[in-house]
Amino acid sequence: MSSATFNGRTESLPADADALLVDVLRDQLHLTGTKLVCGAGVCGACTVLLDGVPVVSCLLPAKAAAGKSITTVEGIGAPRLHPMQKAFMALDALQCGFCTPGFIVEATAFHDLWRAAHGAATPSRDVIGAALSGHLCRCSAYDNIFRAVSEACAGRYDGDVVASPRVEARDKVTGAAKYTVDIKHDGQLEGLVLRSPHAHARITSIDFAPALAIPGVKAAIDLLDSDREVRFVGQQIAAVAAIDRSTAAKGLAAIKIAYSVLPSVIGADAARHASAPLVFTGNATPANASEGTVMRARWKGNVRGPTAAFSQKKKKARAWIAAARAAGDPRLVEGTYRTSIQQHTSLEPHAAVARFDGDRLTIHVSTQSVFELAGKIAKRFKLDRQNVHIVAEHVGGGFGSKGTLGNETMIAIQLARSANAPVRVVFDRDEELSVAGYRPGAEIQVSLLPGADGALKALSMRAHADAGTGVNSMISGLARLIYPAEAKDLVDFDIVSNLPPGAPFRGPGGPPMAFALEQAIDDAALRLELDPIVLRKRWDTNQNRQRLYDWAQGLECWRTIAKPATKTGRYRRGVGVAAGYWLYLWQLNTKVELSVVGGRLSASTAVQDIGTGIRSVIADTVAREFGLEAHEIDVRIGSSNLPEGPTSGGSRTTASVVPPLIQAADKLKAELNKRAGRAPKPGSNAPWRDLIAASPDLRVTAQRGEDDASLARGQRSLLKDAGWIGTIFGWMMRRFSHMAVGAGAPSSVQVVEVEVDTWLGHVRVVQVHTGIAVGRVASMPLARGQAAGSIIQGLGYALYECREVDPKSGVILTAGLEDYRIPGIADTPLIDVHFDEGGFDHVLGGSVGIGEVATVPTAAALANAVYNAIGLRPREIPLRPDRLLSLLEKGSSA
Amino acid sequence: MSDQTSSFPAEFRAAGTDLSERRRSGVSRGAIVDIDVASAMTEITWDETGAGHIGAFVTIAAIAADARIALNYPAFSAAAAGLATPQIRNVATIGGNLAQRSRCWYYRNPHVACLKKGGPTCPARDGNHLYGVAFDLGPCVTPHASTMAAAILAYDGTIVTTSRPMLQIRNFLGDGSSAQDNSLVPGELITTIQMPPPVPEAGFYKRAISRTHAEWPLVELVTRLSIADGKVRTASLVAGGIAPVPLRLSGAEKVLLGSAISASTIGDACSAAIAAAKPLPMTVYKLQLLRGLMHDVLGRLESNP
Ligand SMILES: Cc1cc2nc3c(=O)[nH]c(=O)nc-3n(C[C@H](O)[C@H](O)[C@H](O)COP(=O)(O)OP(=O)(O)OC[C@H]3O[C@@H](n4cnc5c(N)ncnc54)[C@H](O)[C@@H]3O)c2cc1C
Ligand code: FES
Ligand code: FES
Repeated sequence: MSSATFNGRTESLPADADALLVDVLRDQLHLTGTKLVCGAGVCGACTVLLDGVPVVSCLLPAKAAAGKSITTVEGIGAPRLHPMQKAFMALDALQCGFCTPGFIVEATAFHDLWRAAHGAATPSRDVIGAALSGHLCRCSAYDNIFRAVSEACAGRYDGDVVASPRVEARDKVTGAAKYTVDIKHDGQLEGLVLRSPHAHARITSIDFAPALAIPGVKAAIDLLDSDREVRFVGQQIAAVAAIDRSTAAKGLAAIKIAYSVLPSVIGADAARHASAPLVFTGNATPANASEGTVMRARWKGNVRGPTAAFSQKKKKARAWIAAARAAGDPRLVEGTYRTSIQQHTSLEPHAAVARFDGDRLTIHVSTQSVFELAGKIAKRFKLDRQNVHIVAEHVGGGFGSKGTLGNETMIAIQLARSANAPVRVVFDRDEELSVAGYRPGAEIQVSLLPGADGALKALSMRAHADAGTGVNSMISGLARLIYPAEAKDLVDFDIVSNLPPGAPFRGPGGPPMAFALEQAIDDAALRLELDPIVLRKRWDTNQNRQRLYDWAQGLECWRTIAKPATKTGRYRRGVGVAAGYWLYLWQLNTKVELSVVGGRLSASTAVQDIGTGIRSVIADTVAREFGLEAHEIDVRIGSSNLPEGPTSGGSRTTASVVPPLIQAADKLKAELNKRAGRAPKPGSNAPWRDLIAASPDLRVTAQRGEDDASLARGQRSLLKDAGWIGTIFGWMMRRFSHMAVGAGAPSSVQVVEVEVDTWLGHVRVVQVHTGIAVGRVASMPLARGQAAGSIIQGLGYALYECREVDPKSGVILTAGLEDYRIPGIADTPLIDVHFDEGGFDHVLGGSVGIGEVATVPTAAALANAVYNAIGLRPREIPLRPDRLLSLLEKGSSA
Repeated sequence: MSDQTSSFPAEFRAAGTDLSERRRSGVSRGAIVDIDVASAMTEITWDETGAGHIGAFVTIAAIAADARIALNYPAFSAAAAGLATPQIRNVATIGGNLAQRSRCWYYRNPHVACLKKGGPTCPARDGNHLYGVAFDLGPCVTPHASTMAAAILAYDGTIVTTSRPMLQIRNFLGDGSSAQDNSLVPGELITTIQMPPPVPEAGFYKRAISRTHAEWPLVELVTRLSIADGKVRTASLVAGGIAPVPLRLSGAEKVLLGSAISASTIGDACSAAIAAAKPLPMTVYKLQLLRGLMHDVLGRLESNP
């Protein structure tokens, strides 16, 4: 048997020719810092050093390591952290941390070579971008990664100081952080899912006996709904648990199954045809692709809708627009826009590890919602809520896709029950990129009519969402809460077809709405011969954005903006602006507990950190209240046994958790004072530290209360501006989603500078300026990272990301990271983040969430910049080279 | 699975950067034959004519880092430096790069039948061929995957295999009329790539992609050119990503030979390059990209004749 050295220790290698190094590391040697993400050499999460050289362990045959020395992330920080690790920590070059081990391995190797060759010179962005081009980070921490790599190479982290604004950073840069995919119980089985090869079929028979007869297969379960139908390729049919993955795969292959294939229709365009086969008949119901409650709506064939509750004098809007069109009113701006489907692409896939101890269920889940999930599971599986324990210590990204009770979780529970053993279910990348949800695609028609007085008179928006077998997308409706007009006709439709269902994704409905609306506003400004920011200042009455417009007008690049279409030559530069908002949401019933245990202060609530940094926000908030350092606070999150905490979605965690923390801190201070035998030493610079250290064990809790409306400076809930439907909507959010909509609009105004290569159809984003109003910034590096990450995801949406399917079979073709293209580090522009910290004084602590609002206007601002550069409107994203070239060609022939 | 193995051919394995992915997905299931690396296969040697002999087991990174290769075969060197990712280049071999299988998203999907897997038709042809060919030369509409093959074709290199000592690269690749990725027969191993004696000339490699790095080329262009007295004396242009095999742009070469490089010759060369194109509904843009690449590369020579 051959062997290799792993972080200095000799270990034997498996004889199996198919064994890959990544599996040896993770499964045999428990070196779980190395992550498996794409399995295809694209993302670099599995990178290790082979005799000092970075290689991807997901493709490296274990045999190829024979006689060699392998260094994993665990071997890099031991015994002392490498300067690169310290730089990643200090400059917050990470969010969820799932990609971090791979980046660390590559960046340390780069650092050592660079320093050997160039001393302490600073490598350029281009050099760093090329060196790290074999790594992907979906949280898009690239901006800070650039900084960390260049500063570490310049020798700025050679010293002993180890500090980070993110409390768990050390675990993430050393590979110690355990994610759901890393959990391993004794006797744990592996669960795999059998998926439909047909876009529409009825399963007429299914026989598990041959699967169960295979040694090592411990359970096989049926996952079909009562109608026994599957409606998209990849829909789950059955699942198997076995002692390992390959045995489980054999089990799946052995299941005998008979299909009766039914007519299907692929894609929204085909599904709209009158002759298209119906996707849903009988009692079957579509999935909910949004966060909102599904309301009743009309169906016509495969088209559901209209839902138009957010309209306002819609008949007037229609009549005015029709009249303007008939009269050839030059002020009328109309256009049709198309946005593509965007996959969340969290680097940690959907994963769950379920384990029963009697009737107690412990389940590790990669989830955005530990607390709510426990309740949902208890209900669904008829368990006592007290007996369901959800754990999510670290979560490798979510972006909206992990907010509900997911299939992976239900399957793990069912298999664990059936096999009477712990079961792990981890989606493969192709499952993740096909059946695990996505931002629905859309076709949006906009008509925008300025009145003779220059005010916005009427707006009409009709959106057709493409969410496969999912419905309830709201896109047009969101246009009610920005740019007040005399009349608005806002209509949403869903078109169902035999494709997997969509799911909420960062600011659901926001980016496509803004893509269409903000380009129409840009067009209107051109028609009215106004500066686009001047027009927005006139039409957009929101106070927060008014301040951001002032900031944007002062930007150098904006002041030197050139008129569109006067530019010639291969490379053309342009600048564009767009605005966006999101609702300020907070979760009712959020509770926090502050306690002193053994002289240390600890804060707990059942929230989870999906990379947004809530763990650090909690530590910072409590530390600030008591004049301590963040590391002096123990933060307990990621467990459903803690006091009720919020779901990480709708940018609500900060605004839900910080106010009760401040209240709890006040309570705890009172208790400490009361119990203190004597007052702190006069002049002590750490009065609370002393009191806490001397205090007996104590515990206080606080619950999130309503905001103080008197401090809101005339701002109210955005929904209050939306008439009765706003009131109903707000009530429903409270009632069914336990979310309150607070006063004020989290806002963002972005200015994007691009350079278009008209020969190769390539758009280079030179710089993005983002002005953000989300109140006081709780932690500047973390907030900056969130803002930059949102922008880069928005640029991916605008330029690269597109799900592609086979139009006949409904097979998802972009099921790997090679074909589903997310931004890499070298695609990162310079990012200038401006925080306007006013506007949320009525919120205790003064801050609301940033994650969604920062991504809403990006694609729109980019499109306006491209228009400014080439004088042609990109009406369809992503603006890939094929689309940009065809736009240019049409433009030149027109 | 073992009972199915017999119907799949045995495959050599070099670094496995292509093969491992196909085995994980189940597309390839034959026996694995790990290549027994003879020492000659890991070296670059130079003969008395100055020609380079590159062992099939030499890594892409080693080729990209080799100074003599960069000097003698600049376009070949740049092609190596420009493909895949640093981690892949560190282990991927040139033999494996030439013999790698198609990246077609139908071919790589284990649940879909296609010509390259012995199926009856090419599902991309009437399906989604966004990354397909714009020169429709054969039954299969996916472009050839190998960047290095395009570069070697531009140099008229020769492949040495265990059964064929002098296999011209164009015969190795074929003319695109078969669904096979190359003309190797089972058990035939590439041992060396023989480059021609170097000549003084300029060489370029450029690819068009949507992002900045680490993306398969939409179209790539390998160019070798020598200019004397303001006139093009030799020209060799090969486009990849656009046809079932890397495509020698002989029409464009003819236009260039003997002329000065000017805006009008570049335009004529572009027209000649795409004269025989047969784009598919979704691949017309690749012809625009090819023009763009030619303008980019030839344009660099325009001002300094
Ligand atoms: C993310 C990514 C991006 C990539 N981008 C590019 C790109 O832009 N351009 C490009 O050209 N390639 C690209 N590649 C492909 C990469 O270059 C190849 O996978 C690699 O060169 C294959 O070499 P290997 O040694 O790993 O071969 P293996 O995976 O071991 O083998 C590949 C195939 O070649 C056969 N083979 C290997 N060696 C020999 C030999 N000596 N004789 C006969 N048959 C042999 C094997 O049987 C197998 O069928 C990319 C790969 C990845 C993962
Ligand atoms: S998991 Fe290996 S490169 Fe993505
Ligand atoms: S931090 Fe990179 S993927 Fe989340």
